[in-house]
Amino acid sequence: MHIPDGYLSPATCAALYTGAAPFWYIALQRVKKALHTRLVPLISLFAAFSFVIMMFNLPLPGGTTGHAVGIGLAAVVLGPWAAMLAVSIAIVIQALFFGDGGITAIGANCFNMAIAGSLVAYVVYRVLAGRSAIGSARRVMASGLAGYAAINVSALLAAIEFGIQPLLYKDAGGAPLYCPYPLSVAIPAMMLGHLTIAGFAELIVSAGVVAFLQRSDPSLLRATAGRGVELGEPVAGSALRPLWASLVALLILTPLGILATGSAWGEWRARDFSDPAMRREIAVSSFHQAVPPRAPEGLARLSQVWTAPFARYAPPFVRSATFGYLLSAMFGAGLILLACLTVGRLLVRKEPAT
Amino acid sequence: MTLFEITDLTYRYDRQTAVEGLSLSVDEGSRVALVGANGSGKSTLLRILDGLYFGQEGAVRYRGQALTEERFADDAFAYGFRRQVGLVFQNPDVQLFNPTVFDEVAFGPLQLRWPKSEVRDRVGETLQRFGIAHLKDRVPHRLSGGEKKRVALASVLVLDPAVLLLDEPTAALDPRSQSQLIDLLVEWGGGAKSVITATHNLGDLGDIADRCVVLDSGRIAAEGAPAEILRDRELLERTNLVHAHRHRHRSGELHSHPHVHSGEAERSD
Amino acid sequence: MSLAGRHRQGGFLERTIEGLCQAMERAMYAEDSAAGGGLLQQLDARVKVAGLFALILATVLATRMWVIAGIFAVAVVLAAASRIPIGILASRAWLGALAFTGAIAVPALFLTPGVPVYRVPGLNWVVTAPGLTTASYLLLRVETAATLALTLVFTTPWMHELKALRVFRVPVVFVVILGMTSRYILLLLETAQEMFESRKSRGVGALDGTDRRRIAAASAGVLLSRTFQLSGDVYLAMQARGFRGEVYLLDEFNMRRLDWAALAGFAALAAAGVWAGR
Repeated sequence: MHIPDGYLSPATCAALYTGAAPFWYIALQRVKKALHTRLVPLISLFAAFSFVIMMFNLPLPGGTTGHAVGIGLAAVVLGPWAAMLAVSIAIVIQALFFGDGGITAIGANCFNMAIAGSLVAYVVYRVLAGRSAIGSARRVMASGLAGYAAINVSALLAAIEFGIQPLLYKDAGGAPLYCPYPLSVAIPAMMLGHLTIAGFAELIVSAGVVAFLQRSDPSLLRATAGRGVELGEPVAGSALRPLWASLVALLILTPLGILATGSAWGEWRARDFSDPAMRREIAVSSFHQAVPPRAPEGLARLSQVWTAPFARYAPPFVRSATFGYLLSAMFGAGLILLACLTVGRLLVRKEPAT
Repeated sequence: MTLFEITDLTYRYDRQTAVEGLSLSVDEGSRVALVGANGSGKSTLLRILDGLYFGQEGAVRYRGQALTEERFADDAFAYGFRRQVGLVFQNPDVQLFNPTVFDEVAFGPLQLRWPKSEVRDRVGETLQRFGIAHLKDRVPHRLSGGEKKRVALASVLVLDPAVLLLDEPTAALDPRSQSQLIDLLVEWGGGAKSVITATHNLGDLGDIADRCVVLDSGRIAAEGAPAEILRDRELLERTNLVHAHRHRHRSGELHSHPHVHSGEAERSD
Repeated sequence: MSLAGRHRQGGFLERTIEGLCQAMERAMYAEDSAAGGGLLQQLDARVKVAGLFALILATVLATRMWVIAGIFAVAVVLAAASRIPIGILASRAWLGALAFTGAIAVPALFLTPGVPVYRVPGLNWVVTAPGLTTASYLLLRVETAATLALTLVFTTPWMHELKALRVFRVPVVFVVILGMTSRYILLLLETAQEMFESRKSRGVGALDGTDRRRIAAASAGVLLSRTFQLSGDVYLAMQARGFRGEVYLLDEFNMRRLDWAALAGFAALAAAGVWAGR
C-alpha cells in the first residue's frame, strides 16, 4: 500500500524517515563494498522493473485483479540490501517523477515496503528454501511465500502507522487530524485486502517469475542461494509439503471452533464477573466453586492495559462470524510463522554476504 | 606496429563457446572488417578487444601489453586504454542512458576526469561535427534510429580514440543514413587511426575495410582483401553470409544463385 | 494503487496496455511541459524542489482547515501561472486522490465518535461533527499535496530535480541510479507494450484464469530476462566509456535574482502556513 501525503502526521513521517535512514546507509555501503559496479545498472533496471510491475493488473482466482510490488522477486534475485535500494528507488520515482505524491510519506513507504519487506522476503526465502537445488520446486514455493509474507508485513506496518494517528493527533475539537481509523479498524481493513488479494498477487509474481527463471536463466538465482547449492534438476517433492498441507487444512478447519459453546476456562473478561449468565457458566466449569462477586482487582486493572485488535476473534466490521474467525486464524498463523522464521534466521549461523 | 595480438584465444560463457582457439594480428592504421553471420563470434571478439570480456584461455595484447582483468584494476592503465580504444555497440539504446544528448556525449570525458570547462568545449565541438548540435537538449532514446546512431558515435568519438571498434554500425539504418554513416567513418579514419568493424553486411565491405577476416562458429574461416572474399562464393555460402536462392523459370528450369540480404537488424552474438 | 480487486472478464490485456500507455504519456507530458514558458519553469530547480517541498510540509503540519485551504489556493495559482491546464490537474491529481481518499474518508464521517450533525434519511447512519472535520482534513491535505507534487514534476525536467536532490545531500550513487531508472522505465514500458500488443494480435483474448495467470507470470519473466540482458550490456557500455564505480555530473546551476526572490517567497509562505496552522 502506497501511503499518500496527509495520512500520517509529520512526526510519524519524520520518525519513519529516521528509521529508514540507517538502512539506506547500510544498503549503500554494502552495495559499494561488493565492488560489483555491475550492481549499479542492475539495481536501476530492477527498480524500473519493480515500478512497471506495480502497474500490471494481475488476474487472480475468482476473477479479481490485484497489484504486486515485486519485493519478493527483488529479494530473491538481488539479496536484501540491493533489493532495499531497488524498491526504495521505485517508490521515490513514483512520488517524484510520476508525480503520484506521497513525498512526505517516502520514508514510511520505504520503511514498510522496501526495508521491512525486503528483509522479511529474504529471511523467509532463505529459511524455506534451505539447501534445495536452484531448480527445485521448493524454491518456487519459497519465493512465493516470501513475497506473500513481505507484502503482509508491509501492510501490517502501514496499518499500525495508520492506527496510531487518531490516538495521538487530534485537533482542538477532538477530531483526528490525519488518518481517522484506530488500530481496531485499520489493521483488519488493511490486512483483509493484503492477506487475500494483494498477497496473492505478489505470490504469483514471485513464484511465477522464479519458476520461469529456473528454466531460462538459473544463474540469476545463484546469488541468494547460499553456499554449496548445486544448479541441479528440480527435486521431486519436498519434505515440508506435508507440513504446509496440514497447516492449510488446519486454517480451513478453524471455524469449527465457533461450534464450541461457551468460553474456554480462564479466558474471561473483567465484565463477565458482573454478568449473571456468565457467572453461572464460570461456576459450572469450575466444579461449582464460589465465584467472586466482582472481577478481582488485578484482573480489572490489567484488563485496561491492552485491547486486542481482534476482540473475540471477530474484527468489528466483518459480519460473518465464520469469515472473521478464518481471517483471525490466517492472521494469527501468519504472525506466528513470521516470528518462528525470524528466530530461526537469527539462530542459523550467518553466512558471508554474496 | 602491431596494435592487437591475439593468441589461441578461447572464450566460453554459459556452456557455450563463443570464440575458440583464435589467433589474429592487427596492425596500427589498418581498417579491418570482421565478417560473419550471427553467432559467429564477432561481437564477442570486439568486446574482448575492448577489454570488457576476458578469455579463459589464450592471450590478448594491446601494443604489447596483456589485457587481463588484473591490469584493468589499475586506474592509470584503465583510463589510458579507455581513452585510446572506443567501442560503439550495435544497439544504441544500450549506450544511451543519459537524460540529454549533451549529457550523453559528456559522459565519457567526465568519467575520464577531464576538467569541466574542457568537457563543455569538446562536447560542443563534437556535436557540431556530427551535425547533432540541434539535438543537444533532447532525450536520446526518443530520437530516430539514425540520430541515435550518430549520438552513440559522437559519445565515443568525443574522446578522440586511436582505435575505433564498431559492432554492426549500419544495422537498422535506412539506406541514406547508412551511406551518411559510412561517409562519416571514412572521413574520421585515415592516418594513425585504426578501425575494426564487425558486420554481416557485405555491401559495405569495400568502403570500410582493407582487410577482411571471416569468422565462423568462433574460428577464422578465411582472411584476405574484400574483393577476394566477395568473389569466393563457396566460402560465403559455407559461412552463412549468403544463401542459395532457388526459383523456377517459366521454362521450367530450376535456377539457383547466391542471394544476399542487405543489412537487417538482428540481435547478433 | 488499489487495494480492492476488480471483477472484469477478458479486459486484462486491454487494461494493462491502457495503463501502460497512460503511464508513458504521463512521463512524456511532464518532460514536455517542463520546457514550457510558465512561471515556475523559469526558476532554478533547487528553489522549486525546496520551495514546493516546504509547502507540502506546511500542509501536513497545519492543524487548521483554513490554512490548508489557503495553501491549496496558492498551489492552484502557481499551477495556473505555470500554464498547467486545469483539466490536466483535475484528471491527474484531483480525481485520483478524490476517488481513493474519498473512499477511505467516507466511513470516517460515520465512525468518528462525537456530536451528531446529520442523519442519513432511511439508513441509521449519523454524520458527526468530528467525522466531518476529519474527513475534510484528510481530503484537503491529500489534494493540496497532490497538486503541489504534480506542479513540481510538470515544471522541472527530471534530471534537474535529481541534481537539486544533491543539494539535500543525497548520495551520488543514489542520484545516478535514480536517473538511469527513469530512463529504463520508459524503455521497459515500451517493451512491455510491444509484448502485449503482439500477444493481443495473436488472438489470446478469451482465456481462463489459469492461462491468464500463466501468461502474466511468463510475461513478467520475459520482461525480466530482457531486463537482465540490457543491464549486462549497459554495464559494458558504461565501462567502455570509462565508468569505474564513481559518478561525475556536469553541474549547471546558477541562482539569479528571480531565484532568490522566489526562494524568499516560498519560505515566507511556508513559514506563514506553519505558524498560522499551529
